[in-house]
Amino acid sequence: MKTQITVLAAAILMTTGLSAPATAQYPDQTINVMIPFSAGGGTDVPGRFFAQEMEEILGTDIIVTNVEGAGGVIGATQLSQADPDGYSLGFMPVGTTTTQPHMRETEYGADSWEPICLVAQGPMYVTVPADSDIQSIDDLVQQAQDSNVVTAGPPPGSLPHIGQAALAQMLGVDFNYIPHEGINAVAQSMLGGRVHMTVWFADAGERFGLRPLAILDSTRSEELPDIPTLAELGYENIENYVWFGFFAPAGTPAEIVTTLAEACDQAVHSEGFTSNMDAANRQVRYMPTDEFAEFFASQFAANGERLRSLGLAN
Amino acid sequence: MENLAAAVSQLASFEVLLAILIGTTFGTIVGALPGMGTVLALVVALPFTYSMSSIAAITLLLCIYASSVYGGSISAILINTPGTPQSAATVLDGYPMAQRGEANLALGWCTAASTFGGLFSLVILIIAAPQLARFSLRFGPAETFALILFALTCIAWVSRGSMLKGLLAGVIGLFLAMIGTDNMTGMPRFDYDIGVLSGGLALISLLIGLFALSEVFMRAAKYVPEKRESKVANVGFRLAPWREWRIRIKALVQSSLIGTLIGILPGTGATAATFVSYAEVRRTSRRSENFGKGEPDGIIASEASNNAVTGGALVPTLALGIPGDGGTAVMLGALLIHGIIPGVQLLNNSPEVLTGIFIVLAIANVLMFVVGALGAQVFTRVLRMPEPLLMGMVLVMSLVGAYTVRGNPLDVMVAVIAGVAGVFMRFLGVPMAPIVIGMALGLNFEESLRQGLMFSGGDFLSFFQQPIALVLFIITAVIIAWPIVKAFRARKK
Repeated sequence: MKTQITVLAAAILMTTGLSAPATAQYPDQTINVMIPFSAGGGTDVPGRFFAQEMEEILGTDIIVTNVEGAGGVIGATQLSQADPDGYSLGFMPVGTTTTQPHMRETEYGADSWEPICLVAQGPMYVTVPADSDIQSIDDLVQQAQDSNVVTAGPPPGSLPHIGQAALAQMLGVDFNYIPHEGINAVAQSMLGGRVHMTVWFADAGERFGLRPLAILDSTRSEELPDIPTLAELGYENIENYVWFGFFAPAGTPAEIVTTLAEACDQAVHSEGFTSNMDAANRQVRYMPTDEFAEFFASQFAANGERLRSLGLAN
Repeated sequence: MENLAAAVSQLASFEVLLAILIGTTFGTIVGALPGMGTVLALVVALPFTYSMSSIAAITLLLCIYASSVYGGSISAILINTPGTPQSAATVLDGYPMAQRGEANLALGWCTAASTFGGLFSLVILIIAAPQLARFSLRFGPAETFALILFALTCIAWVSRGSMLKGLLAGVIGLFLAMIGTDNMTGMPRFDYDIGVLSGGLALISLLIGLFALSEVFMRAAKYVPEKRESKVANVGFRLAPWREWRIRIKALVQSSLIGTLIGILPGTGATAATFVSYAEVRRTSRRSENFGKGEPDGIIASEASNNAVTGGALVPTLALGIPGDGGTAVMLGALLIHGIIPGVQLLNNSPEVLTGIFIVLAIANVLMFVVGALGAQVFTRVLRMPEPLLMGMVLVMSLVGAYTVRGNPLDVMVAVIAGVAGVFMRFLGVPMAPIVIGMALGLNFEESLRQGLMFSGGDFLSFFQQPIALVLFIITAVIIAWPIVKAFRARKK
């Protein structure tokens, strides 16, 4: 009997504790951070580094879940429909949040989120195989005019695809784009001599021995300072870089967003995060809430515009 | 020799030895749980590696990688549910053997074959990784298409009874693979505007439904409480006598070779390897009529090849930085986190890391045998559990397993629907393995075809101009034509 009462009391305590999280000090329970891509991948690595620091700063458990599929749309849809109570958050890249909604009828849009902060970014480069005859962008144009240039990357609508399409448009040539499952399959085709060019991150050189020709950004990067911008080579610059942000579903209370934003500031600038990112060869880029919200809105509009001009969105 | 000394001194630490022990045990157990395959086991361990030294981290992940592939076959044999898709072919002969009351023997075959396959591929990895990696680059879409076409002939081998029903099931499997986002256009297909469907169906939830849940449903329908099992299930672990092994050495080598070679080809995967191996061993085995009824050759074909894939898949991963399958992709991500960049530079600059990896893999494969042999004493006892209890446990584990695949409730529904469909298929005599084969290979089959056509500007004849592809096409044609020719000849006489 005694034990039954104890159990009952414990049960009552537990249920009341669970039903009234709003009155307690945030955060007082486990936070779920959703990453819409597979573990160990390009989004997951910075996401997990970031979550690790946030866990320490917020003083609560953080569980990272990978909800994969459809370019991150499955995970983003789940998150957009979650309770905006500050316990369901997401670490999502540019594509999932700003290109997918233009290309297909996603159940979320630009106003489904409370952007909290920008965490990381990665510029992309025009890249060719090490032993390729193409030594410069001029050579690339020449080959496209003389015969054909076979390019490769992830499925249409992905950033590498948009990047090479924008490049073709700017150069006034056509590329023959062959979709692949991901960068690993692309590298296989490039090293096998079936593909001439791709648009990818800085690590393509070190990992696969590919050779970058130019950066798709308005300035040179710290990681590859010898690679020129397109403007330096006498063409128009193209900005095509991936970024990763920290998001809450729309409707999350302002004070929770503030708490998270402050924690994010600390996490991104922490010793642990920067050294981890450094070791993994990834770039940190921080923007506080207001700046990030503005940036997000402009990216959403700009990418929509770009996809429409390339005929990839209506 | 210097490398060896350097590598051994790196490995001789308490942290590394602990990583080997934990990795192998954890990998085997997680592999055995339905739904929680190699990739998930690696993912669970990933965050722990951040705070470990890089050599211990690699050790842990390598051990999990090698042993989880083996673990998947334990549940395949004992409860008719492959723990990982790579073990789907093990079900075909492993489960009938366990039902005969020879689970201990089945586990013996499977454990020894797994260890043999793993070590075999490791030897090849050590001898010829750079050369084989360069060869693998020649595998373009045409070659992949031809290889998968060959693997699909396996549908014919596993369609006992009615060939027509088997082919139909295979086509259903191919179709199921098409649901979800089309990688060639980036657009969702057959999603009927149901959001979650745009991510496609997970093969493992289909496996869980078809094999495990349908079994539970059938047994629940047929259950008679008073009836005692007439056969006493043998528990534990038993190796077959040497004379049994001697006549199967050819099958062992054959399937290890197939597993290693397919493992080397990026993007083809262990599941394809097991079915190619099953098809080939069955074709050449003297005991081919016993396949599907609990023939050790069938277990060997599946198990030696899927463990041989581990060494094979590491060839392009370490030599080129291109992962050979899903498991190596996660490991590659982990290596990058630790600042180790696999590829040409690793081979040239830090050979001691590579030597270390080889040693760890060798230990993992041997330890896997020990863990399997000891664990079998415990695992096999589930067969002596009262049937309702066992079936209840399978039911719960299956549903949880289906959910953990991607954290998607859809996968649980798919598993249940597949379970009901599986019951109907059993009544109608439709074989289930072809659905799995179709679905496992479908997307690769389609994408390699479309990609190949895009490269050649729509000219299918170009597929026949690639020498490797041509050879594979001819073998496939011979395999399909041979039974027809044989039947024709027999009728003439």
